[in-house]
Amino acid sequence: MSKAIKRKDFVQGDEAIAEGAIAAGCRYFAGYPITPASEIAECLSKRMPEVGGVAMQMEDELASIHSIGGASVAGMKAMTVSSGPGISLKLEGLGWGIKNELPYVVVDVQRAGPSNGVATRVAQGDLYTVKYGSAGGNNSIIAVSPMSVQEAFNLTIECFNLAEIFRTPVFLLADETVGHTRELLEIPEDSEIELVERKKPTVPPEEFLMYPMETPEVINYPYPNIGEGYGICVSPYTHTSRGYATEAEKDHDKMAQRFVKKLTENLDLLTRCEEEMMEDAEYAVIAYGCEARPALEAVKQARQAGIKAGFMRPIIVWPFPDEPVYKVASKVKKILVPELNRDGQLSREVARAAKGQAEVYHLGSGGVETHQPSQILEEFKRIIK
Amino acid sequence: MKTQEDMAGLIHPLAAKYLRTERLPHKACPGCGIGQVVHCTLNVCEDLNLNADNTVWVQGVGCSSRISYTLWKGDNIDAHHGRILTVATGMKMSRPDLNFICFTGDGDCCSIGGNHFLHACRRNLDVTTLMFNNSIYGMTGGQVAPTSPVGAKTPTTPYGNMEDPMDTVNVAIAAGAAYVARWRSTDFKQLTNSIKKGIQTKGFSFIEILVPCPTQYGRYVLGTSNPIEVVQWYKDHTVTLKKSEKMSPEELKGKFLLGEFAHNEDRTGIVERYWDAVKKIQDGRK
Repeated sequence: MSKAIKRKDFVQGDEAIAEGAIAAGCRYFAGYPITPASEIAECLSKRMPEVGGVAMQMEDELASIHSIGGASVAGMKAMTVSSGPGISLKLEGLGWGIKNELPYVVVDVQRAGPSNGVATRVAQGDLYTVKYGSAGGNNSIIAVSPMSVQEAFNLTIECFNLAEIFRTPVFLLADETVGHTRELLEIPEDSEIELVERKKPTVPPEEFLMYPMETPEVINYPYPNIGEGYGICVSPYTHTSRGYATEAEKDHDKMAQRFVKKLTENLDLLTRCEEEMMEDAEYAVIAYGCEARPALEAVKQARQAGIKAGFMRPIIVWPFPDEPVYKVASKVKKILVPELNRDGQLSREVARAAKGQAEVYHLGSGGVETHQPSQILEEFKRIIK
Repeated sequence: MKTQEDMAGLIHPLAAKYLRTERLPHKACPGCGIGQVVHCTLNVCEDLNLNADNTVWVQGVGCSSRISYTLWKGDNIDAHHGRILTVATGMKMSRPDLNFICFTGDGDCCSIGGNHFLHACRRNLDVTTLMFNNSIYGMTGGQVAPTSPVGAKTPTTPYGNMEDPMDTVNVAIAAGAAYVARWRSTDFKQLTNSIKKGIQTKGFSFIEILVPCPTQYGRYVLGTSNPIEVVQWYKDHTVTLKKSEKMSPEELKGKFLLGEFAHNEDRTGIVERYWDAVKKIQDGRK
């Protein structure tokens, strides 16, 4: 593949996310100021009118996520951004997006919590929040996590594509370190960027079923918008395939299966991990997002010290890459999981997916700073003794 | 049981034209005023040629919304509780060419959605909001609302409501709504005209409709579930704006005013301002 570059720039991760959204065809943005995500809103407030799109600063986080839901219903690729306590509020609207199979993107620039925590500093406390935060279960969340500025741009586009393919809200699970790091960003020519556009029904309105309840695994399913003559029905209530409210157990279970199976039956499109030095590895480090950078450096230093160490990074973190992690666990004796929370979120997922094939160790911190490679290496040496 | 075809002759021609007749009969309790508002709105559909191609029906959560959701031919967009005007913001900004008619209740609009209500007025968002005020939480079992009168005994105010009700009309005016009116659901002609005017007004239109609720408000607050007595109560507790001018504050105590309270089309709204700005910014770049 040729790599024609339109522009090279030294920018923040937050700016790369904004430019990624524009490149992906996002034309509706709504947000509420919050550190460390405000720069995305500031960039898009300038850029959106230039490209004929809408940027709204709403009265609160709830209004932001619901207004992008409205924009998505109206046919726009739409996005909102937030962090920490703002994400807590946005979760209220997320269920409406999941329930009505709305394609849109939510960016979470993670910061140290709980509550307001340390507003300007990094953490990785929202892995479970984005997956399980929307009350009621039966959700269909996809989450993608960048480790660099270039990835912040590329994966934002990926998020919009996945949202359209799976008709569901997608999280870009970034963090303050990625959001505020300045690095070289190469923006490709438009012709180099692959975009997924919303499919429209090919059958007349009376034959079209808005929600494919009988074929829960189907993806790339058409989504007509308001004003297109399809009489679409969108609501918070459990619906039939036409969108009519129902309280029948059978209908509700069909809907629940739809949300789960459209992901689990299409895992080939949702499995994305990076591995380094895993071929002959006897010990592994698994990390994601900003924490993957010192983790990879620690693995390289371990190799120099003669330890057969390998590195793995989930890029799509939800659905969790159970099978790739199991394969790593089957190959190595011990796995270290450094992450910026004390709950052991990623390490718990890794341990679950490892199914006892390897011992899994958690290296936590409350956040504020990423781990130093030396800290990870020291812990790594300690556990493999 | 009657089939849809048997029913055809029984259905009002406007309902047959604009409603999904397979969704009838709707879920309103006996004596509820929501059906009357639907009827007024159907007349407006006919007068203004509102159809599935140019109009989107938006609902919140509560009696007003549950009854009107999926009732209309065309698009029916039902938001989370309180979020109706934020969803409408996203839709209207994206599709300024379409009419948006929002069915909300007093709890949906003034309580859980109160902040969004203020800001939709402030932005002067060009949508039409019909707020069905039954002064109580009907769907959830008759709990006190921010519109319930002082002293109202409800399941959550067993010792009587200790809070004053919200002055909805003046809140809407102060926050910047372009068109503000209040009628009873039984004021067929005035309400029909107001809905029409609201849709024609550029900017945020807020029409409050006093809706009799014999099932909850009647039972708990008025001490009667008889629909005629509840309608009579509204007749006794309302006065037109014109008539009120000749009445003393003592005479007006505990009365709802009816009429048009604001009609200001001088101030442009967010939709017009935003898209005008986009045009200028894009022209400037050429």
